[in-house]
Amino acid sequence: MTATPEERDGIIAFAETARHAVAACAGLPARERARQLAGDGLFGILAPEAAGGLSLNLAFAMPVMDAAGAGLLNYPLAETLLVGAAFGATPFGPAIVLGEKIATIAWAGRAAVAGGKLSGTVGRAPLADEADLLLVETDIGAALVPLDAPGVTIQPAFGLELETPEHEISLTQVAPVALLDTATFATLREDALPLWAAAIGGAAERCLALALEHVSTREQFGRTLVSFQALRHALARQKLAVEHVRAALERHAALTAREADEARVAGRAAYAAATRFGIGAIESALQLHGGMGFTWEVEIHRHLRRARTWEAQGDAAGLHRRLAQGLLTANT
Amino acid sequence: MDRDASSLPPDLTGEDYRAHVRAWLAANVPEGFLADRPGYRAPDLAACRAWEAAMHRGGLTGITWPTAYGGHGLSLREHLIANQEIGSLALPESVNSLGKELAAPIILAIGTEEQKQRYLPPLLQMHEIWCQGFSEPNAGSDLAGLRTRATKDGSVWRVNGRKIWTSGAPNAQRCLLLARTGVVEDRHRGLALFAMRMDAPGVTVRPLRQMDGREHFAEVFIDDVVIEAEDALGAPDQGWSAAVRVLAIERATNRMYRAWRFENELNHLVRTCRSDAMLAHLLDGGTYHRRLAETVVDIEIVKAHVEPVVERLVAGESIGDRGSLMKLHWSEAHQRFAALALELLEQAPPGASPEVQAARARFQRIYLSARAETIYAGTTEIQLGIIGDRILKLPRGR
Repeated sequence: MTATPEERDGIIAFAETARHAVAACAGLPARERARQLAGDGLFGILAPEAAGGLSLNLAFAMPVMDAAGAGLLNYPLAETLLVGAAFGATPFGPAIVLGEKIATIAWAGRAAVAGGKLSGTVGRAPLADEADLLLVETDIGAALVPLDAPGVTIQPAFGLELETPEHEISLTQVAPVALLDTATFATLREDALPLWAAAIGGAAERCLALALEHVSTREQFGRTLVSFQALRHALARQKLAVEHVRAALERHAALTAREADEARVAGRAAYAAATRFGIGAIESALQLHGGMGFTWEVEIHRHLRRARTWEAQGDAAGLHRRLAQGLLTANT
Repeated sequence: MDRDASSLPPDLTGEDYRAHVRAWLAANVPEGFLADRPGYRAPDLAACRAWEAAMHRGGLTGITWPTAYGGHGLSLREHLIANQEIGSLALPESVNSLGKELAAPIILAIGTEEQKQRYLPPLLQMHEIWCQGFSEPNAGSDLAGLRTRATKDGSVWRVNGRKIWTSGAPNAQRCLLLARTGVVEDRHRGLALFAMRMDAPGVTVRPLRQMDGREHFAEVFIDDVVIEAEDALGAPDQGWSAAVRVLAIERATNRMYRAWRFENELNHLVRTCRSDAMLAHLLDGGTYHRRLAETVVDIEIVKAHVEPVVERLVAGESIGDRGSLMKLHWSEAHQRFAALALELLEQAPPGASPEVQAARARFQRIYLSARAETIYAGTTEIQLGIIGDRILKLPRGR
């Protein structure tokens, strides 16, 4: 909306590149996936130019996250974009942007800092078993930790998501290699919200397309399923849900571009809309598949597993509590 | 009127216009008009008429209409700004919204120059209130089945039929009337629009008492009513199709203040609950946090459906049927909120403060009137049909 025509063309081009890149790297081992996605320029969208990035705003990352969600990309992409940008001024930035190092974030838990060393258990870190670098929240901000450092133990966390699985990491007296202050890490967390929203939106739209395909071809009672109004209305509600996520993201992008105060609430709203309406649409698409929807083969459960995992990583429940608290405080 | 009587300084746009709207509202809202303030008294029709006429002089209505017809010649961006500011105050609903948001845009699109001159200024000055004569006993959501007939009789039209759910009819001077010039089997063809005078011989209005106790809508009996040729809008076969195009845009742009009024209501609810020890305790307990947060998000989504539409229309792009997305979401979210407000306030202890009692009364009204929001302007089921058929373009199936 407030993007210039050139910017809009740029965003559309990103979407196209991202779709191809996501499809091309399916089935590759993690390291090759990293190099391939980096080669397609997807990792440097937010990173500064000094780190080999494009130094663009969040709006340009949305189509890429959307494509990653729709295409079931097995890679901690939001984490890569955010860590690459946050550490752009260090040697780690370029390594991440070029796909030489895999970075991830422990979204849950906090490590204690004593004598400059980190200790504690953190969790919700996607693909930590294949990653090189982990960003961990600490009581004084956040710290980047090499996962092969002494004192690091990685364990599977047995979450819903199986393809980019989450891990728990125990840290005992681990020396960090780079730091972020509290405010920078808080901003990073806020920036993650619209990225996840875009991914869930992409996943929901993909599931809607699958449901539409299914009901348009399957016949029951001598008619194609799409001729039944109950199912048409369910599809319409899925579309409504997808459009809620898109509209909320578009509004967030517009407010961010004008540096408006409401941008932060808009980013949270986009994520809350995605976790509520987007996930609802995925579940509804599964329902429209009937028994097929409950099979391993139909991909909808994979989207659902991811979307629910992003919901937990972003702490949607806590976000709702904070939104309510904000409302109460504003009306005291 | 002309803009000579307007107090809107010329060439005021964007944030300068917002500053004007804010200052004007701060100086001009009548005593007791705001439903979330102490001393609120529901304004009567005369007070609402005077208020809306004043808003027009202040440059807050008729914003995008050409100055030649009493409008202010500004863009939809200023229309949005005025709606944001008006919405954030608990002002009464317009008593002429069907005139301003339905009849006028259709007149601007298909009316003759003479008709625009004749209908639009009195509408903005609130001399003429309009009602909408579309629905009939056998043609509600399915307007193509309507039976009210208009036949040419020399130079005039003679109309016979019956309209129902005619919002605003008891107070209206004009009716935007949809009637058939051919036979019922023609469905959408042969439908024509008229600006019928409500004081014409043969027009009988029977108010219908609504479930919220008000008498806003009515039955309108039309017995051999003569409508002058000059009051026919557009050619008999073109009126309806033009109206449908206008309505798709109107669904997205009318009552644009809804998101901000919704926000005003939410803030009023929370403020009131926090003023009462027991209700404050309920809110702080956390049981209601999820629903309150979801309401905040619902409001953000309404805004997100409204604001980009303005930018697209300003850029000359088509918005298709996107208005259905906003209408459907807003009406359902507002009903959820109204139920939440009722649930909370009905837990107020006996002897609660006048502030709590006033809020109870406001949210009881809102709860009841919200039941209509998923019915009027295209029911939820009609909106789902539009999203499926026209936005998703679902195959019909076989």
